[in-house]
Amino acid sequence: MSQVSELGASMPRLEASAKATGVARYTADLAFPNMLHGAVLMSTSAHARIKSYDVSAARALPGVRAVMTGADIPRKRFGLMIADETALAIDKVRYIGEPVAAVAAIDRETALAAAELIQVEYEDLPGVFTPDEAMMPDAAIVHETFAAYPKNFDCIADGNAISIAQVLSGDPDEAWAEADVVVEGVYETQAQYHAYMEPVAAVADVDGLGRVTVWSSTQSVFRTQICIAEALDLPRAKVRSISPYVGGGFGGKSEPGVQIIAALLARETGRAVKVVLSRQEDMMMMRSRHPARIHLKTGARRDGTILVRTGSVVMDGGAYADDSPAAMHMVLHFLRGPYRVPHLRFDGRVLYTNKLRAAAFRGVGNAQATFACESQIDELARKLSLDPIDLRLRNVLQQGDSWLGKHPIGSASIGECLQRVRSESNWDARRAALAEAPTSKSGKRRGLGVSSVVYTCAYLSTSAIVRLLDDGTVTIATGAVDIGQGSDTAIAQMCAAALRLPVDSVNIVQADTDATPFNSGTNASRITYMLGQVIAQATDDIVSQLFPHAAELLECSVEDVELVPGGRVAIKGVKERFVSFADCSRRAHFKAGGPIIGRGSYVFRVEEPDTELTINKGMMSLAAIGTYVFGAQVVETEVDEVTGKVEVVEAWSAHDVGRAVNRQAVEGQIEGGLVQGIGFALMEELVWSDGQLTNPSFMDYKIPCSLDAPENIHAIVIENPEPTHPFGVKGIGEPPVIGIAPAVGNAVEHAVNVRVRQLPITSERVLRCLLDRGS
Amino acid sequence: MAEPVEFYEPRTIAEAVAVLASVPDACCLAGGQTLVAGMNMGPLFRPPALVSLQRIDELKGITQRPDGTVVVGAMVTHRTVAQSELFGGGLEVVREAAGCIAHPAIRTMGTIGGSICHADPAADYPAVLIATDATVVVTGPSGIREIPAAEFFVDFMTTSIEPDELVTAITFPPAPADAVSVYEKFTRASGDFATVSVALALSLRHGRCESVRIALGSCGPTPVRAAAAEQRLVQTSLDESDVQDAGRILCDAAAPMDDVRGTADYKLMLIPRLLGRTIQRAQERAVAWRVE
Ligand SMILES: Cc1cc2nc3c(=O)[nH]c(=O)nc-3n(C[C@H](O)[C@H](O)[C@H](O)COP(=O)(O)OP(=O)(O)OC[C@H]3O[C@@H](n4cnc5c(N)ncnc54)[C@H](O)[C@@H]3O)c2cc1C
Repeated sequence: MSQVSELGASMPRLEASAKATGVARYTADLAFPNMLHGAVLMSTSAHARIKSYDVSAARALPGVRAVMTGADIPRKRFGLMIADETALAIDKVRYIGEPVAAVAAIDRETALAAAELIQVEYEDLPGVFTPDEAMMPDAAIVHETFAAYPKNFDCIADGNAISIAQVLSGDPDEAWAEADVVVEGVYETQAQYHAYMEPVAAVADVDGLGRVTVWSSTQSVFRTQICIAEALDLPRAKVRSISPYVGGGFGGKSEPGVQIIAALLARETGRAVKVVLSRQEDMMMMRSRHPARIHLKTGARRDGTILVRTGSVVMDGGAYADDSPAAMHMVLHFLRGPYRVPHLRFDGRVLYTNKLRAAAFRGVGNAQATFACESQIDELARKLSLDPIDLRLRNVLQQGDSWLGKHPIGSASIGECLQRVRSESNWDARRAALAEAPTSKSGKRRGLGVSSVVYTCAYLSTSAIVRLLDDGTVTIATGAVDIGQGSDTAIAQMCAAALRLPVDSVNIVQADTDATPFNSGTNASRITYMLGQVIAQATDDIVSQLFPHAAELLECSVEDVELVPGGRVAIKGVKERFVSFADCSRRAHFKAGGPIIGRGSYVFRVEEPDTELTINKGMMSLAAIGTYVFGAQVVETEVDEVTGKVEVVEAWSAHDVGRAVNRQAVEGQIEGGLVQGIGFALMEELVWSDGQLTNPSFMDYKIPCSLDAPENIHAIVIENPEPTHPFGVKGIGEPPVIGIAPAVGNAVEHAVNVRVRQLPITSERVLRCLLDRGS
Repeated sequence: MAEPVEFYEPRTIAEAVAVLASVPDACCLAGGQTLVAGMNMGPLFRPPALVSLQRIDELKGITQRPDGTVVVGAMVTHRTVAQSELFGGGLEVVREAAGCIAHPAIRTMGTIGGSICHADPAADYPAVLIATDATVVVTGPSGIREIPAAEFFVDFMTTSIEPDELVTAITFPPAPADAVSVYEKFTRASGDFATVSVALALSLRHGRCESVRIALGSCGPTPVRAAAAEQRLVQTSLDESDVQDAGRILCDAAAPMDDVRGTADYKLMLIPRLLGRTIQRAQERAVAWRVE
């Protein structure tokens, strides 16, 4: 094992070898004595009242142990922001694929066969399949009892709206008069499937005390615990939630998958029950990124100074709210981009439709906003005949500037990020050369495009407990789930660095609501930032307990000792006069004071926006949203003028990460995010026809694979230590995905002079634009 | 519990035919890349009995007859075809198509016999067999039949073989010495099935088209070929207008459908454009070949 204890050093992920060799155990690998297997019956109707069930044939099938429908479960609703969901449909179904009934049987085949035998009588209702249909005055209402649902923010809504909100700063109506140029456009983004490698899965068991334990593929053991407890009407203490290895989440596993269904079946049968969805079921039942239509208008002076921006966004939330309000509020929050925009107004609305629910997805809301914002900045540059990077640099936020309502932005390094991609990509010379190059003999042209990226990291609260074991190694419990992004390694590295221990002296406790303290979840690029905060506190706590032992043993005063590398405490300046952590810890364990335990607790909080400056209407609180992270991305694309197909041939992605905890892991995040961004930009889209998903398989729904990724991805790591953080780190989980789609759109325009305002930028869309453009 | 599937592993073609004739609903298992993926979709797609062809050595080789005809056994994998030296000139299209089927893992398992028997119009081999005027060799209880490719593919995922028959080989007749051929596959992403594909075999003399065969994949229930389009090109120097006319005729013959890979409209837009590219590549090949 590596002896690295330096922060910033590259080291392989702790679990890399276990995952690569197949030793790592995921939820689907778990087995218990007498375990049953579950299957879920999905709704075949997009919107219908449930008239009756007939489960007799299913119950009679040999091997079946339980059949449950909405009639057999507590009528308790749960949900992150609006409690509108039940684990199985009750009274109504609202999308094709919604869980209607569940079966537990001696094997999966039998459970599936039994599910097929369940008869559900539906009375079909008219469906609403697009936000436009949902907004019609006579539209069918997806949730008639919306007003009665508990909500955790100041929700404004009517009809099928889940949330209606506005952000207003300055006086946009007046400001237009001063604008020399105005650009305006409508930008559309699509439903993207999370496409984590591991479909959702859960195993639930009950013990003799009625306690439910659930192992599952989740981004938050605590959210899972809360949802199960709420749905089953149990106190938190009766629900234990654990996560084994998780095969990706990207936001899709923040809220429950099949955990509640597994728990219901386990309670019903008194046996362990495993539910693992197939890829098709996962695609039909779970979540997507929110489709959005953004109308955006920007006014600027002739020299490129942006004066005013207004816009409105309509988003498709699908059948259940999940975190739709937050996603829409994030669009409003980020639509200004990392620029000085003195006057702005953004209106937003997210609606229920009879489709798969939309939810958080890497860069939630921001990816949609950035596509509109950064496409339009290029359109402005074109209109003003300015270089796109020059125009951005003229307007970027500067040190000391703030976000809406005086939100502090930390190190305002957006300008630096843009300069770095400009120099590393050789932007000026390359762009000029590409523009002058003739179309290749086979009909291909290349272009270069850029996008700014701004996001936040941190969010909500977290905690850690570090225990010093009697041999001087440590065990750290944080409740953070490593979903594949590498947080366990980062935690170990930060903890090791703080205590000057080798990384392999740090043992990490698997996320478990019984064994690890609260962490709200692996999302919002928050884990490394938030964990760093509590690791610093907890290790300081350890040190403050350790030093008195060391001082006693070294017969000196506490002020005269210091940590030295390798798990030692020495007399300041005399490193050969030391005692080991083991010496101190054994003393604590067996002689004086008792075992050493360090603790850390942290909640991210800044001031609420200053309402003198910015009025937020109908929005959730943004005081916990975190600190700002800046980046810039450049892509070179090749457009095939014969077919319209676009390929990304090279990419540069610069991100101010504050400080890299593990450089190689940061580069991995940048590369992975960028490729996922290429999928969003060029090919990924869930498509429905009358509420029926038409492409629920990887045969039909394409994600980029290694051959679709550019050979050269230049991950550029910029380090301006974050002043609010003990290790100086910021989160980098989401930013790399965000700027790719607009950068690709901008590069396409540079290459072939057409502007595609709708994602994905498919070959068909490009070819149609090319034909409209003429040659 | 899943219903058990009977499993047979004959060693000879004759044994295989005997099993197919005697076991009701028995189904050949070649590379399994289509069949097993289907079986995983649920009991409905599971045949009661499988006849694995893996152990029949007679089905495995690629050989060349003295007259130049190339004979490919039904169990030859896409990977083997893609690496074979026997497909050049007018048959290069065969090798090229095999090399762009799916991904390496699938090419290592999937077979030419399995591909054509599945007869998916979006697959790569069917159009190639039409463009190269290949023949499918079939063995059944009443002996051997040789079916021209044009009569083999009869409808969407439907061939002219009987349930108790077995494809044993595909024969590719020798192409004229000066022939060149090209496979052009357009996909949304790497490893995908074709949105539209063009298989082309062409003979040029002094830049003029002596003979040409064109077949389109993914443009209808079976590969699309239009004699009039080919006639339009013969004895021309393949100028833009010639190619455009031929493309238009092919579009009239094609019947693509809207699907996840593109609208029918888009596929019709692609046909003449890809035809142009295919012909251009063939011309380049002809030049390169002469230079060598
Ligand atoms: C992810 C994926 C991507 C793919 N992409 C492509 C692609 O881009 N292009 C493409 O062309 N194909 C593609 N395929 C299909 C692939 O080429 C398969 O290998 C091929 O279609 C079937 O060949 P097989 O040997 O696997 O046949 P099997 O799956 O074993 O059999 C297919 C069918 O043919 C029958 N059969 C097989 N052999 C014989 C025989 N000798 N006589 C009579 N009947 C027989 C079987 O009974 C079965 O009905 C893809 C497959 C996958 C899984």
